[in-house]
Amino acid sequence: MSAAAAEPVIRLDGVRKVYATGSLEVHALRGVDLEVRAGEFVAVMGPSGSGKTTLLEILGCLSRPSAGRYWLAGAEADAIPADALARLRGEAIGFVFQSFNLLPRQSAVENVELPLVYRGVPRRERRRRALSALERVGLAHRAAHRPAELSGGERQRVAIARALVNRPTLVLADEPTGNLDSHTGEEILALLHSVHAEGNTLVVVTHDAGIGRRAGRTIAIRDGRIERDSRSVAPEARP
Amino acid sequence: MSAREVLREALRLLVAHKLRSTLTLFGIVWGTAAVIFLVGWGRGVRDKLELGFFKAGRNMGEVWAGRVSEEFTPATDRRFLWFTSDDVAVLRRRARLPALIGAEAWELLPAAAGGRGLTVDVRGIEPEVHEIRGIPIAAGRGINRSDVSQRRRVVLLGDLVRRRLLGPQGRVGAWVRIAGIPFQVVGLFAPVGTQLASDRYYVDEQVWVPISTVQALWPSPWSEEPVVTKIVYRMRERALLEETEREVRAILASRLHVAPDDDEAISIWSSVKMFNRLPIEQMRGLFFVLAVATLGIGGIGVMNMMLDSVHERRREIGLRLAVGARRRDVVAQFFAETFCVTASGGLAGAALGILVCVLLRSARLPELAPVPVLGADTVVAALVVMVGVGVLAGVIPAWRAARVDPAGTLRME
Repeated sequence: MSAAAAEPVIRLDGVRKVYATGSLEVHALRGVDLEVRAGEFVAVMGPSGSGKTTLLEILGCLSRPSAGRYWLAGAEADAIPADALARLRGEAIGFVFQSFNLLPRQSAVENVELPLVYRGVPRRERRRRALSALERVGLAHRAAHRPAELSGGERQRVAIARALVNRPTLVLADEPTGNLDSHTGEEILALLHSVHAEGNTLVVVTHDAGIGRRAGRTIAIRDGRIERDSRSVAPEARP
Repeated sequence: MSAREVLREALRLLVAHKLRSTLTLFGIVWGTAAVIFLVGWGRGVRDKLELGFFKAGRNMGEVWAGRVSEEFTPATDRRFLWFTSDDVAVLRRRARLPALIGAEAWELLPAAAGGRGLTVDVRGIEPEVHEIRGIPIAAGRGINRSDVSQRRRVVLLGDLVRRRLLGPQGRVGAWVRIAGIPFQVVGLFAPVGTQLASDRYYVDEQVWVPISTVQALWPSPWSEEPVVTKIVYRMRERALLEETEREVRAILASRLHVAPDDDEAISIWSSVKMFNRLPIEQMRGLFFVLAVATLGIGGIGVMNMMLDSVHERRREIGLRLAVGARRRDVVAQFFAETFCVTASGGLAGAALGILVCVLLRSARLPELAPVPVLGADTVVAALVVMVGVGVLAGVIPAWRAARVDPAGTLRME
């Protein structure tokens, strides 16, 4: 893994996140330090409520840390103005959600096009790139179907195509197999693995020990802190 | 996202959410059309009342003499009173407020022509009365000064009198007999129709002749002098109603040696006074309140629809932000969507409201049946309010949803 020596894509320094719900304060993250280098495949594991989704949201600039600092590809996220941050989310980061988050009234290819729309890519070019992203996940033949007409696995593959369509430097996935049966989950996992094999940096939040085994690096989170950070010896063992 | 892109996306989403769009559209169409119709109707009622009230004279006061009231004199000395042409001359000389003064001498007499006859309201008039009452003449001419000075036996016929006596072919130049005396027809009044305020007969049942002719042919049993039944005057403007009345009353009271506030001795009547007493403004107010309520209900419907749609689409907003939408992209999208719905609904509603108004106006209705009057201001106001409410209701919640961290909107289930 030559990428391991490069500039970190992600650097977290003492990141905390506090949610205030009425008088109650929920400490989702209690000081997280983390570095992820380009090309890594990181599985973030931990029980429910451990703060792993919050961590992912902060990594994806969907949420800002309450304290601490976050550098994304060398730039401090907190210092990036809102509009630039929106562009960053669209161009540098691809999201995959547990519940897919596809727009129900739009076809698969229109869903995949969405990040390109906000990037200002012309229509034809958009369609071409979206179709090739769908092809990449093996769904070119379902391009005109709406999410309701697709199986769970197919929906998640559409979502992955959407995450990849802008060729992001960082792909973030939150329980990507959580809503799928184990067989379909395997397929999605294999797909994510090949995404990583193509050189993408991948951070996956999961309960699934299978993902943990395939990832080159596993971070265990408990009560808002990193409990363990372990690298497997042969991350590319099973392509 | 370019404006074209935003619009294209908006239209696509509207088509995708047909039911929601249709319901929203319906609320706006209904609200806009109802407001245009209701306000127009209110105006129409007012216009028709005004038309009906002032057919026999606009901004006019009418004065006649009666009897000295018991309050001002012993019961044994309750004189009968009348005006003479001299009183009118004095009034003309001294009164400052009336714009124009005219005298009328009235009789109810049988009129006949070609074997047909009916009782008509004979009005001997001075030429000024034409101008004061403003009743349109369809053919021929009115009574002029030389008619009066020479006591000519010439007559103008009301429309009904003409039809009854002369038939549809009745023309200027024909002769009619009034109380047996032949008069030549010099003019024909245009049909006036139903009057909401009238003194004695409707104009259509009147015949007008020179005042001096009436005074000479049918002199008063009470007086040697030429008697005037009614003095009419036109006030300069409606606001001067009271002042004008006071001045006229004071001058005539001193002429008749009665107390100026004895309104049994000198009566003044004005269709303006009566018109002012009608609850027209209250009625228009009611229509206006109804219209505003309709607009409000329509607005609330639209608002509800929009709030609902934004709420159920919070995840969508979150997702759009996650894939690179700026806050203003989201707001622009919702603006475009709501604007497309509300503007098309508003235009359709305006078209519907205008159509109903136009159809009613062209329908064959009784003359004084109120028909809605279209006002550009109403159409514009209805459109602005409906579209404004709709757009605000769509954009504000979207703006609020887009303001928080996308993580918050995405997590919502």
